[in-house]
Amino acid sequence: MDLTFSDAEAQFRDELRAWFENNDPGPMPEGEDASYAWRRDWQRRLADDRYAAVHWPEQYGGRGATITQSAIFFEELGRARRPLPANVLGILLAGPTIMTFGTDEQKDRYLAPILTAEEIWCQGFSEPDAGSDLAALKTRAVRDPAHPDEWVVTGQKVWTSGAQHSKWCMLVARTDFDAPKHKGLTYFLMDMEQPGVQVRPLVQITGEPEFNELFIEGARIPDENVLGGVGNGWKVALTTLMNERSGLAFFLQVRLRQLLDELIEEAAERGLLDDPVVADKLGYLHMKAEILRLTAYRGLTTIEKYGTPGPEGSLTKWMWSETNQELAQFAADLIGPDALTNGNRWAYELLRSRGNTIEGGTTEILKNIVAERVLGLPRLKGAA
Amino acid sequence: MNFDFSEDQHEIKRTARDLLASRSSFAKVREAAESHTYDPALWSELVELGWPGIAIAEEHGGQGLGAVELAILCEELGYALAASPFLSTVLAAEAIGAGGSVEQQRQWLPGLASGEITGALGAVGGLVGDAAEAAVIVLIGDDGVARVVARADADVTEVDAIDPTRRAARVYAPPTHGEALGGDDPQAGIDRATIAVAAELVGVSQRALEMTLAYVKDRKQFDTPVGAYQAVSHKCAQMLKDTEGARSATYYGAWAADAGADGPGLPEPASLAKAAASDGARDTAANAIQAHGGIGFTWEADVHWLYKRAQVDAALLGTSGVHRKRLAALVSARLAPAVA
Ligand SMILES: Cc1cc2nc3c(=O)[nH]c(=O)nc-3n(C[C@H](O)[C@H](O)[C@H](O)COP(=O)(O)OP(=O)(O)OC[C@H]3O[C@@H](n4cnc5c(N)ncnc54)[C@H](O)[C@@H]3O)c2cc1C
Repeated sequence: MDLTFSDAEAQFRDELRAWFENNDPGPMPEGEDASYAWRRDWQRRLADDRYAAVHWPEQYGGRGATITQSAIFFEELGRARRPLPANVLGILLAGPTIMTFGTDEQKDRYLAPILTAEEIWCQGFSEPDAGSDLAALKTRAVRDPAHPDEWVVTGQKVWTSGAQHSKWCMLVARTDFDAPKHKGLTYFLMDMEQPGVQVRPLVQITGEPEFNELFIEGARIPDENVLGGVGNGWKVALTTLMNERSGLAFFLQVRLRQLLDELIEEAAERGLLDDPVVADKLGYLHMKAEILRLTAYRGLTTIEKYGTPGPEGSLTKWMWSETNQELAQFAADLIGPDALTNGNRWAYELLRSRGNTIEGGTTEILKNIVAERVLGLPRLKGAA
Repeated sequence: MNFDFSEDQHEIKRTARDLLASRSSFAKVREAAESHTYDPALWSELVELGWPGIAIAEEHGGQGLGAVELAILCEELGYALAASPFLSTVLAAEAIGAGGSVEQQRQWLPGLASGEITGALGAVGGLVGDAAEAAVIVLIGDDGVARVVARADADVTEVDAIDPTRRAARVYAPPTHGEALGGDDPQAGIDRATIAVAAELVGVSQRALEMTLAYVKDRKQFDTPVGAYQAVSHKCAQMLKDTEGARSATYYGAWAADAGADGPGLPEPASLAKAAASDGARDTAANAIQAHGGIGFTWEADVHWLYKRAQVDAALLGTSGVHRKRLAALVSARLAPAVA
């Protein structure tokens, strides 16, 4: 056991620190569009120096970074208080899924514009009646009898983050209506800029329109935009979901720690650390943040050594979302009414953190996964 | 970075697990608990294997391995719930080995390493494991100063604590008796000992989880294994999360102890490990009782031994509340040295 980073890893960290030091996008402008444009510019800067997706292979514009180096990248990004790149779903989800299942033509066509933020991606999985039970989705894709190499899509997606900025959508739709629900699905790369695709913003609990409803009525997708084969959509979608649950942990972990450290400093300045209840709770939150960080590190070793994630992998998203919520709630308690006025950062955290245990799989679904796949417990009939 | 045991360390773990499975079954644990004695055969075997001296320097007759190897043994002894003076002895050895003066080390470590004598570590007036038969007691005073006291100089009263698999006592010694841990960093010895207790708690937690999984896969109600119900399966998932979280913190603590000056220091990792492992094991053992239903509440079933060990270990060398407050103080001092 050796928790120091290797020379190569430490050097990579230093290199990143220097780069972030020299590359500062400045303060985030106000407003959805302006802040999005700012994150797009930021991603271009990252891409220019091949830092947009360090874990991608070099041939696609990454650095072929190891899983540990990738974790270091996200830690340093957070540490430098730099934003996530605008095309985060493209980089973390679409890109790796295309690399795994895509044809050579698809890799050539889609990967480069993901890195440069030229083409933004969104994830069209959830539907009004298919959230946790994703395989129950109803959006239909049927071949056009007049153009047998084209699919016509009809249906509705919901909670689609970033759809308003996106050129492409990772779309899962039903193509076989007689097959069992997991078998009849196909994964498409859908062009969002066409008639038949309508994006309607959904305002969130925070007042921001981060996600959207997607109404699809007769949109067309050519055969060459099927990813991973017709009827293979469930398997391809699982790859996307697995990437979703791993990539961000280190960035989020650092962000959580920064918030917590700021709260501890604030408590110290207000002389509240002598209050045993306050000290106890801050120590508790620090403990939970450390457990998250260390468990995520253990997960890195497991993957590097054994190729597959261990139980740590399923636990970190759960740990992070729970701790982030507890932190926000305690900050609100500690700071009092000031934390409840709009515009206050803790007020924002208090509201936004409620989504943490829903997005990317709810805590209940994560517990099901841990119970069934890690602990080998029997599953109830019909339940996912 | 490599957050996994080395091959040798894995081997120690496997060997310990196998040995204890054959020597310290729950039937044996029960026998010892109900008669309020230890299993002398087990203790002599551990001594023959050199386990008590695993982390004691070779010059004092130990094996000269580190806190990680010690944590591995403590975890396995906790997993087996072994009834032996092992933990108490290594706690005293850690305190003296890392925090004692050269004379204190020379005087006590060889005996502790060879198992010729046993030791104890605890706070004045608190529950101190195995003090009655210990030759040497490291006693932490109300002022926080730890003194090394020979058994003959201490006033030891055995108490009937809820965990009968470990023999507890209350210890007093007049300030004139014994002498303060005389090394450069007395607290380092206590912190290392704290990590060893955390490791035992991780073992207790792991055992509680495994026993519960076996039970809920088998036990049926409404024609369904109860482990299929989410109220139960989600509890099991929580038990895994609590156990693995405590394990991450504890292994980190043990590594930090071995890393010395190259590591993150000892106070924070030690308190982190103890707070996480105390909470983790207590909650996991409590959840184990709940998931076992009525049988879990009986003397007959074995889960209560785990719950009791978890409770008593959690109180040893500082409850989780004590360590959480220490963490908050350490972190705030690190963040803002200017703030008094
Ligand atoms: C901020 C945010 C961003 C998102 N971005 C996207 C995106 O970009 N693309 C996308 O496709 N989706 C996105 N989602 C959707 C998200 O993946 C779903 O909301 C989530 O999977 C839950 O589905 P649901 O909302 O239909 O809730 P439901 O599945 O209806 O769940 C309702 C409640 O029932 C519980 N529940 C459901 N099934 C079970 C079960 N089997 N066992 C136990 N409990 C159960 C859930 O845990 C939850 O508490 C986003 C969500 C949020 C909050």
